[in-house]
Amino acid sequence: MCGTARLRDSGDMDTVIETSHLTKRYGSRTVVDDLSLRVPQGCVYGFLGPNGSGKSTTMKMLLSLIRPTLGKVQVLGQPMTRASRRGLLRHVGSLIESPPGYGHLTGRENMRIMQRLLDLPQRQIEWAVDTVRMRDQMGKRVRNYSLGMKQRMGIALALARQPQLLILDEPTNGLDPAGIEEIRELLRSLASSGVTVMVSSHLLGEIDKTATMLGILSEGRLLFQGTRAELMAASTPDIIIESSDPRSAQSILGQQLDCRSDGRTTRITNADDGSTAQAVSVLVHAGIDVFEVRRDEQTLEDVFIDLTKGGGL
Amino acid sequence: MRIIANEFAKMRHLRLGLLTLVLLSGVVGLTAFRGLASGMANDLSDPAGFAWKILLAGLGFSAGLISPLIIAAIASRQVEAEHSGNGWLLSETSGVTPGRLCRAKFAALGVLVTTSTLAQSLILVAIGFGVGIASPVPVEQWLGYTTAIIVVNLAVLGVHLLLSAVIENQLVCMGIAVIGLFIAVFASALPEWLVMLTPWGYYSLVVPADYVGTDLVYLDIPYLSVLALGLAGAGLFTLITARFDRREA
Repeated sequence: MCGTARLRDSGDMDTVIETSHLTKRYGSRTVVDDLSLRVPQGCVYGFLGPNGSGKSTTMKMLLSLIRPTLGKVQVLGQPMTRASRRGLLRHVGSLIESPPGYGHLTGRENMRIMQRLLDLPQRQIEWAVDTVRMRDQMGKRVRNYSLGMKQRMGIALALARQPQLLILDEPTNGLDPAGIEEIRELLRSLASSGVTVMVSSHLLGEIDKTATMLGILSEGRLLFQGTRAELMAASTPDIIIESSDPRSAQSILGQQLDCRSDGRTTRITNADDGSTAQAVSVLVHAGIDVFEVRRDEQTLEDVFIDLTKGGGL
Repeated sequence: MRIIANEFAKMRHLRLGLLTLVLLSGVVGLTAFRGLASGMANDLSDPAGFAWKILLAGLGFSAGLISPLIIAAIASRQVEAEHSGNGWLLSETSGVTPGRLCRAKFAALGVLVTTSTLAQSLILVAIGFGVGIASPVPVEQWLGYTTAIIVVNLAVLGVHLLLSAVIENQLVCMGIAVIGLFIAVFASALPEWLVMLTPWGYYSLVVPADYVGTDLVYLDIPYLSVLALGLAGAGLFTLITARFDRREA
């Protein structure tokens, strides 16, 4: 990445985005509820949630495109407000809603508009175009681009300022698998060059392999924030017990624990290591042979679905 | 200045140059045709400058007939590009608010409209000399009318820029332009308050020459009303675009 003037300040620059109690209400409807985000520098932050969970509204508040009802936003160590945003936005690239681009102009003419708007040197434009691998398409009018090319063009327009932070709202929406993989690869390469990327999606699979940090939103509330490993660790998969008499095991354990039986195994929900050991002990004392005790295998997708369905870990 | 330069860059492929040319040639052509049809050729040597009166009266008529629609089309095309290209958000995320973008559009398109309006007058004066009008140009009337019609055209441009920015469906904006054209042409049949309250009505108020009975005479241009239109238009445009600046995306 070419050198560029970096934003410096006395704030905590290990955290590129920090919100405290961020809330947005439209009348009596709360769209974003008491959100406290922390996006560390240099990460790809996957901002996940079902459609309508408040991701786009949050991202718009981060860019000061809409005003929070309550709470504060800090971006690059500085408060993001209507007064400060003009200066801050020179360091923050974004792609919100549909990809931008004047359809009647060519890719090159669109890039020239961004160059003039922010008074950028030509080398930054060249770098942005090369980064999204659009050099061969610059002579075409944007209206003739495929959706994938429009997305990449939108990212090039956001990248031209060589941002310290890139905020992308569902950049893989409507793309075919090859297009999605291209965007993933692009995000990885940007993160490796030092750009902090915040990317939203309603599908975990789309950003699971790219994101180093995850934030999961449902109905405007942040259900989880941390690494992939922390997410897996924070969820407690069921304990599955194979025994000589699963039905008796269920009736004995059911007095103390949340458990059910499918006739072949007994499944205990929300059991920590202590209660697992106790359950095994109870069964042995009751004369039931225990053949196997294991935790259920759980994919990240399962955790995500459980979280957004149930509203918590 | 960079934002205004961008507006000129966005004009590429929008055929705004062609529309400006239609505005220019339409007004000039219709005025010249009307002059010839009114027998201007027979009065070229009239020392009282009857031929200039015919030309100026024709200019007032043609401007009211052609300018409202063409100016609306120019504004609409320039703003539609922002709606279809997600340009409002692109600019806003680069630190340029929607109101500021509208003001830049007004400045850029204002140059086109003003240049075209000035050129209409200059070309018609040249045509007058070209066909051999012997009397001197009535500079005061010609200058006064040109200044007034520039203000009216810019007011109409401002209204259409705001309409096109607020209403995404540009067909609606063009429909309003047709109503504007109706007001401009049939103002004499409309209540005076309606004529005074809309910028289109001023096309009929600033008529530079017309028949009074059987005589073609120069008419006084209501400079105060035109000044009021200019000031009110500038104030409202600034106020409304400032509201755009505070609007949430």
